[in-house]
Amino acid sequence: MSEHVREITEAEFEREVLAAGQPVVLDFFSTECPPCEALAPKFEAVAEQFAGKARFLKVFRQGNRELATRLGVTGSPTLIFFGRDGQERGERLGGEEIKRTAIKAQVEALFT
Amino acid sequence: MTTKYDLIIVGAGPAGLAAAIYAARARLRTLVLDESVAGGQVKTTHKVSNYPGFPEDIKGADLAKAFATQAERFGATIRRAIEITAHDFSGPVKTIELDEEEMVEAPAVIVATGARPRDLGIPGESKYKGRGISYCATCDGAYFDGKDIHVIGGGNSAVEESLFLTQFARSVTIIHQFDHFQAEAATTEEALKNTKIKVIWDSEPRAFIGEGGLQALSIENVKTHQKVELKTDGVFVFIGYVPRTDLVKGVVPLNKWGYVETGEDMSTPVPGLYVAGDLRSKSFRQITTAVADGTIAALAAQKYVKQAAKVVVAA
Repeated sequence: MSEHVREITEAEFEREVLAAGQPVVLDFFSTECPPCEALAPKFEAVAEQFAGKARFLKVFRQGNRELATRLGVTGSPTLIFFGRDGQERGERLGGEEIKRTAIKAQVEALFT
Repeated sequence: MTTKYDLIIVGAGPAGLAAAIYAARARLRTLVLDESVAGGQVKTTHKVSNYPGFPEDIKGADLAKAFATQAERFGATIRRAIEITAHDFSGPVKTIELDEEEMVEAPAVIVATGARPRDLGIPGESKYKGRGISYCATCDGAYFDGKDIHVIGGGNSAVEESLFLTQFARSVTIIHQFDHFQAEAATTEEALKNTKIKVIWDSEPRAFIGEGGLQALSIENVKTHQKVELKTDGVFVFIGYVPRTDLVKGVVPLNKWGYVETGEDMSTPVPGLYVAGDLRSKSFRQITTAVADGTIAALAAQKYVKQAAKVVVAA
């Protein structure tokens, strides 16, 4: 993990996401998931662009099944976007076709 | 600042990487671009049994890595997770903009962007993508421990991945539009013998239904037109692919199904522009045929690049 993307567990979800006080992008990932590997550098790049303004977090799905189930996540990778108020906003992004520009556009929309 | 190459290959699947191996060994400065990691459709295939040279099954992800490692060993540069944000393939120098911030160019380009999974185009599909509908068994299969799931399709991918999913799921019900599988006979036999696999023939999905998450799948028998709703814990869709021709649309001729028409040497009407692999118009799309396309494209492109260099020197 890098300085711009941090991994959290479901125990930290409340504090790190809902009560973050800033926009958050949450990436649910799995092992043996090439689309997740493909997403990682794009996620990283966008995280760097928004450093200090939005939080970019990762959750390991296998290890945090309860949270994944609660949020209705059944595919890896899944990106969920949260506004400053902790409310989910915009569209979830998933699968192999996630574009860097699409992540960026969704994060920008969190500031409006 | 533009970085110059002899050959740029777009797509790091079997076609693109076979091309890269040949081009790099021919000492062309070769760049391979992919918006994902290397491997194309192979990387999410749980096992490959029909690729020559591997008497035992090989994991798709491992085969994908091996292709990439081999290409890199000979000096090809593979750039992963790259988005092409602008391109011009029409002139003698082909240019590509990467991630809105970097330019690369080469006299020759091989487009090997393959195909993406076909959507069903039925109600509820976009709503439940990633919320009950999946297109990657290796990515999501393990979460369906003890669950009852459905697979749509009847080709090699659908039947192979159904077998893989039986490791986790309590039951795997395959919904197929015909009364027999299109998968290889060996795979079909194995699936029909598996006690966890049930098949509903002659049926097509009509809608995904649920509140919050996906709960049921509505299907229709195409012969009797009877509709039934099936309770489900998850649905995997493997109904084939559509060619990814975004980069060459309008530049090269497509057939009526949207595949690119090429010459036997993978050439297009645009000098220096080649197309290889699943996005080409052809009868069979296998890893082996993609590798063959890539090989031919690289050899043809190599000849073209050397010719083009001579013209420049003469002028």
